[in-house]
Amino acid sequence: MVYYIFTLVFFCFDYFILAMGLNIEYGETGILNFAYIGFVAIGAYFTGVFSLHSAANSGQHYILGLGLPFPINLLLGGIATMAFALIVALITLRRLRTDYLAIVLISLSLVLYDFCNNFVSIFNGADGLYNVPEPYAKAFGLTVNSFIPFFACVTALISLLMWFVMSRVTRAPMGRTFRAIRDDQVVAAALGKNVFRMQLKSMLIGSFYAGIGGGLLIQFGGSFNPTAWLPGETFVIFAVLIVGGAGNNIGMFVGALLVETLLIHLPAFLPEIPGHPGLIEYFDNAVVGIVLMLMLWFRPQGVVPAGIRRAATFGVVERDHDSSLPTSTEMPLLSSGVGNE
Amino acid sequence: MLDAPSRTGALRCEGITKAFQGVHAVNGAAFDIPEGQVTALIGPNGAGKTTVVNILSGSMACDSGREFIGETEVTNWPSHKIARLGLFRTFQLSRELGGLTVLENLLTAPADQAGESLVNVLFRPGLIRRQERENAERALHVLDVYGLYRHRDTPARELSGGQKKLLEIARAVMASPKILLLDEPMAGVNPALIELIGGYILDLKQSGVTVLMIEHNLNVVEQICDYVIVLAEGRTLATGRLSELRENTEVVRAYLGEVIDAGPAH
Repeated sequence: MVYYIFTLVFFCFDYFILAMGLNIEYGETGILNFAYIGFVAIGAYFTGVFSLHSAANSGQHYILGLGLPFPINLLLGGIATMAFALIVALITLRRLRTDYLAIVLISLSLVLYDFCNNFVSIFNGADGLYNVPEPYAKAFGLTVNSFIPFFACVTALISLLMWFVMSRVTRAPMGRTFRAIRDDQVVAAALGKNVFRMQLKSMLIGSFYAGIGGGLLIQFGGSFNPTAWLPGETFVIFAVLIVGGAGNNIGMFVGALLVETLLIHLPAFLPEIPGHPGLIEYFDNAVVGIVLMLMLWFRPQGVVPAGIRRAATFGVVERDHDSSLPTSTEMPLLSSGVGNE
Repeated sequence: MLDAPSRTGALRCEGITKAFQGVHAVNGAAFDIPEGQVTALIGPNGAGKTTVVNILSGSMACDSGREFIGETEVTNWPSHKIARLGLFRTFQLSRELGGLTVLENLLTAPADQAGESLVNVLFRPGLIRRQERENAERALHVLDVYGLYRHRDTPARELSGGQKKLLEIARAVMASPKILLLDEPMAGVNPALIELIGGYILDLKQSGVTVLMIEHNLNVVEQICDYVIVLAEGRTLATGRLSELRENTEVVRAYLGEVIDAGPAH
């Protein structure tokens, strides 16, 4: 029972992080990153190979194997994901926008998947990485059962810290400029914003979140292989984002709770339908798809819609009048004639 | 009496051409915009006026020709770099940042905001808060002057057409422009608002802003523009004061003649 509840807690907070990362890219900046799960995987693999010791006697094939302790490996996993994102962004963001960018990124996701699945010597191919050390399990004498609640709490703490940072970013002028770019790139550029550079920033921040979320996945399960990141998984995170409410960080938590926890992981713990083993799990994606369509139809702004930032929150003294007419009498208005055709 | 613009015009272009799949939208446009004046860019529909503004502001690259802001050559610079030199523009069809509030639309405009850097966001919240408050105060003042104060917290997409026109100009003003390109700022707005916008443009001129505006309403041109550039078929047909141009038979035939506002077929 404890195992069961804390597994759900873990996935809820982990997907909270993943959704915040996708939110800054798509919800705030409008970058349709259909390769997002690929960035998650890069984070997971790198966190794994930074944590694992040398591959020599492990029966696995992988690069690095530095044996770094948690959370240094996790942090470096996030940074490795940013480095990967930098390369992707330099190639794609400068030239492509919206749908075209999305098509290229979904292709990237497929290529990356096939590459990691078949090229054994980097991340152990289709078998993936396993026996990744459980953080602090030895130091705290954690068993298989006590590790799960422990790590779920660690993940919750990390996600809250990352939420704090993200809410600062989205509230700052930086977030506002991201949203300006989302609404109209041409206008943002005409206002002097370097659109490419801001999109790059957004993508790097989002990829860091993807990398950390992925790193926590491999640390939680101790293993990570290509079945965990089929390219379609990106759309589960999009479902989290859309159900929660694009452009709202709190919404990402609600979305993670509703979609990832209740729809994807809870059914796995339900009793089987007699005579149809595994049937419930097969329904997962269909249910997510239906929920996504219903949301887009009836409540496209999500469960927790993006709020607006009111003038009062800028610390200014608001005037008491509420006139819609200009108040300044110094304005030299045209005497007459203009406009009277 | 206004003399012909000197070589040190605020904005100058030479031999600008731009073709769309073989059709020459702009075909050798060349003119000087005198500093601190309001210049009108007029011409029949399809003369290439908006394309010229797109090219001058960097929203579009030209095929050939040169552009100078002051003494700096800025040919085919990206628009954000041109904006750094103080040239801002508005759009023919209002392009508000719809998801942002009216106030946020204005707050997007100031250059060099500390809060656009991640390092400052993480480590210097006090600096950002101070700068945001200063910018918000100025933005609210601009909104007050432009009659949009009441709508400060309204998402911009919910404004009416006329209000969006005002928001476009207010947003450009918030960027502290040296040169302002206005693409039909008065198209589709009511006469009272035309008068209001005309007042704002003259006020900008008084504060030393160089204005280039595309305008079809010749009454407006006569009242607020010091200088007129006539564009026809992508070329500069004539430049000068409107009263002088009325004597120019070519200009009259191309534009001023029979139909004034609808733009003659050609």
